[in-house]
Amino acid sequence: MKMPKVSLFLFLLPSLALICAFGIYPIVYNAFLSLKDVNLISYIRGTAQNVGLTNYREVLDDPLFWKALFNTVTFTLLSIVLQMSIGFLLALLFYREFPLKGLFQALVMIPWVMPIMVSGSFFRWFLSDNGFLNNFLTALGWIKEPIRWITTEKMAIYSLTAVNVWLGIPFNFILLYTGIQQIPEELYESADIDGAASWHKVMYITLPMLKPVIVATFILGCILTFKVFDLVWIVTKGGPGGASHLLSTLSYSLAFDRFQFGKSTAVLVLMQIIVVLFISLSNRIRWEER
Amino acid sequence: MQGQKAVWFLVILFLVTLPSLVFAGTTLVFQGYSNPNEQVAQFIQNVLIPEFKKAHPDVDVKYVYIPFAEYMSTILQQAVSNTLPDLVYLDNPWVPQLIDANVLQNIRDYVMKDLGNDFWMDFFPGHRMVTSKDEGIYALQVHTNNLAIFYREGFLQKVGVGKPPKTWEELLDVSRKIKENLNLYGLIFYAGADEAGTWQFEPFLWSNGGSLLELDQKEAIEALAFVAGLVKEGYAPRDVINLKDQGDETIWFMNGQVAMMVNGNWEFGWHLLPDVLEKLGDVRVAPFPVPDAAMRSAILPFGGECVGITTTDAEKSKYAWELIRIWFGEKLEEYYEKWTGHIPTLASYSAKIASIRPEFKVFIDQAAYALPRPPMGGMEKYPDVSNELALALQKALTGAQTPEEAFGQAAKNIKNLFTPEQYEKHKEFARNVLTEVLARTKQQ
Repeated sequence: MKMPKVSLFLFLLPSLALICAFGIYPIVYNAFLSLKDVNLISYIRGTAQNVGLTNYREVLDDPLFWKALFNTVTFTLLSIVLQMSIGFLLALLFYREFPLKGLFQALVMIPWVMPIMVSGSFFRWFLSDNGFLNNFLTALGWIKEPIRWITTEKMAIYSLTAVNVWLGIPFNFILLYTGIQQIPEELYESADIDGAASWHKVMYITLPMLKPVIVATFILGCILTFKVFDLVWIVTKGGPGGASHLLSTLSYSLAFDRFQFGKSTAVLVLMQIIVVLFISLSNRIRWEER
Repeated sequence: MQGQKAVWFLVILFLVTLPSLVFAGTTLVFQGYSNPNEQVAQFIQNVLIPEFKKAHPDVDVKYVYIPFAEYMSTILQQAVSNTLPDLVYLDNPWVPQLIDANVLQNIRDYVMKDLGNDFWMDFFPGHRMVTSKDEGIYALQVHTNNLAIFYREGFLQKVGVGKPPKTWEELLDVSRKIKENLNLYGLIFYAGADEAGTWQFEPFLWSNGGSLLELDQKEAIEALAFVAGLVKEGYAPRDVINLKDQGDETIWFMNGQVAMMVNGNWEFGWHLLPDVLEKLGDVRVAPFPVPDAAMRSAILPFGGECVGITTTDAEKSKYAWELIRIWFGEKLEEYYEKWTGHIPTLASYSAKIASIRPEFKVFIDQAAYALPRPPMGGMEKYPDVSNELALALQKALTGAQTPEEAFGQAAKNIKNLFTPEQYEKHKEFARNVLTEVLARTKQQ
């Protein structure tokens, strides 16, 4: 029996309404604000003027935007590559049986269960000039002067990336580990009979069989990392001198430090465009591969 | 039978609750960012509201706490969705913007009728400037604060320094001695990339005659070079750029990692409570150091909170004012004496509170030379100006740019925020105020 089209639509209506209210409307409203000269006063009074693409022009003329874009891309790519590599190696390790495996597995998950406020505050102290890491290295006699992990323009973003790698390992580990467990055991047994070395089994069985999981983890990871805000805001607030701003923190700072909502939303719209382009590109590559 | 009983029960319940539904009393919402465990919120809940309820038992007053970091975004959402509370507690630099945004109601008639013009004129000029516009009064500043040098007398004595530094030169000298003899940092201050970073730099800038709207001038660059020098020489930790907030400084100070800190009087109601002071035993406060020994005081920004009415409902507005009137009337002295780590905004209370709470004397004396921030930095553009300065400060402190480069670029960015006419007008205003206060600090 075929269901009438109206009934089908009625079944879809609740979820469509939710998507429109909480997904599409904010995006459209955001885009609308980015075309207006919105600040605290004009937003509340409803007197914001249409300024066309002025906010975009001003954002693109601002060296801080390009710095934040560079940081965001660097932060995302480095984080993903390192998180996935370490997560994959850990997944391979935990695929085998060894004593206290459960305990070690729980330890790997610790970064994920810690509230970001706690881990962020910890790393702000840990990486400071007078923090634990520098004091530890000094005590070992390895350094004489503190390493300026988060107090130089050049270093701050890479230190934050390292922290983010640590935070993201459990996410990558759990997805890849689950994926590895789905690979049929018989394939490895056949390889053993053929006399394949461990390295060959990883290269010719595990990686190819895991490819769909790897791609999904990569895309999810990229999206989640691209919009990281809290870690950077807690540790450096985008400093020193704006050098570790990501697009997310720059947008927040424009909105709530400077009340420049028009420019802030322009940054957000540009972020959305980048994410949409990235997803479209990756979908296209996957479709062509099929 | 059972069913009949149930129906009768429901009818009686309806009749009993009907009056309370129909004649529900007024509820007043008082919104603030003072944590319910902090002194100001305790005062509001345990003193102010009970006092109000004596005369208005049918009016319910709810104190709603919103954390500081989310406060302005909450006000914004509430203003746009017409869900503002009835009374708000606000940081003073926000007030001019909220007046312009029509969030705050004009309370001039209430002030003049119940408190009088003499009372209004008793506020220090800067507080009147921030809370009024044209002929209207839109809020009243309940307390103020400013910055001074907290120091550990024991550390200074250990390096043979009998008195706290009065000038920048002495500050450098004491910091050097602390560093060389005790291997400690001499001074800590806050230089985060936010308004608090700007707020802590403004006393250096203004006392040296520099203006927020002329950062590329000699006086401003000298001030930045002085502060950057403190970090460069190792007299202050470079971590000042990543402190969580100004309270973080006090943690360093209490742990004995620094001998002196730039901080405000609110610390006496926050970290430096009587038991902590007793335990440390040697915490003292000295006026903010000046660049020129001939100056009687540094020129500082003032902080502190204001209360204003946001409701447009005539009846609620009347009750909201009644709460403010009680705060500024019969309960003001008790508030300053027992319930706050802040100092008075009214000249007539200052001397009295200084005698009752001697730990505040330095701050109260400095209040006469304290300036409001927004008018000194382009009024509604102040958040932008402040942000530019905070970024430049960090660039100079980390050595990424020289003071000339950092402030040269910031000055250019700040100028671009205004039309040429606006810029000249604000620059002129700030310059005139600075000239007047600088002259006053040098009067004998």
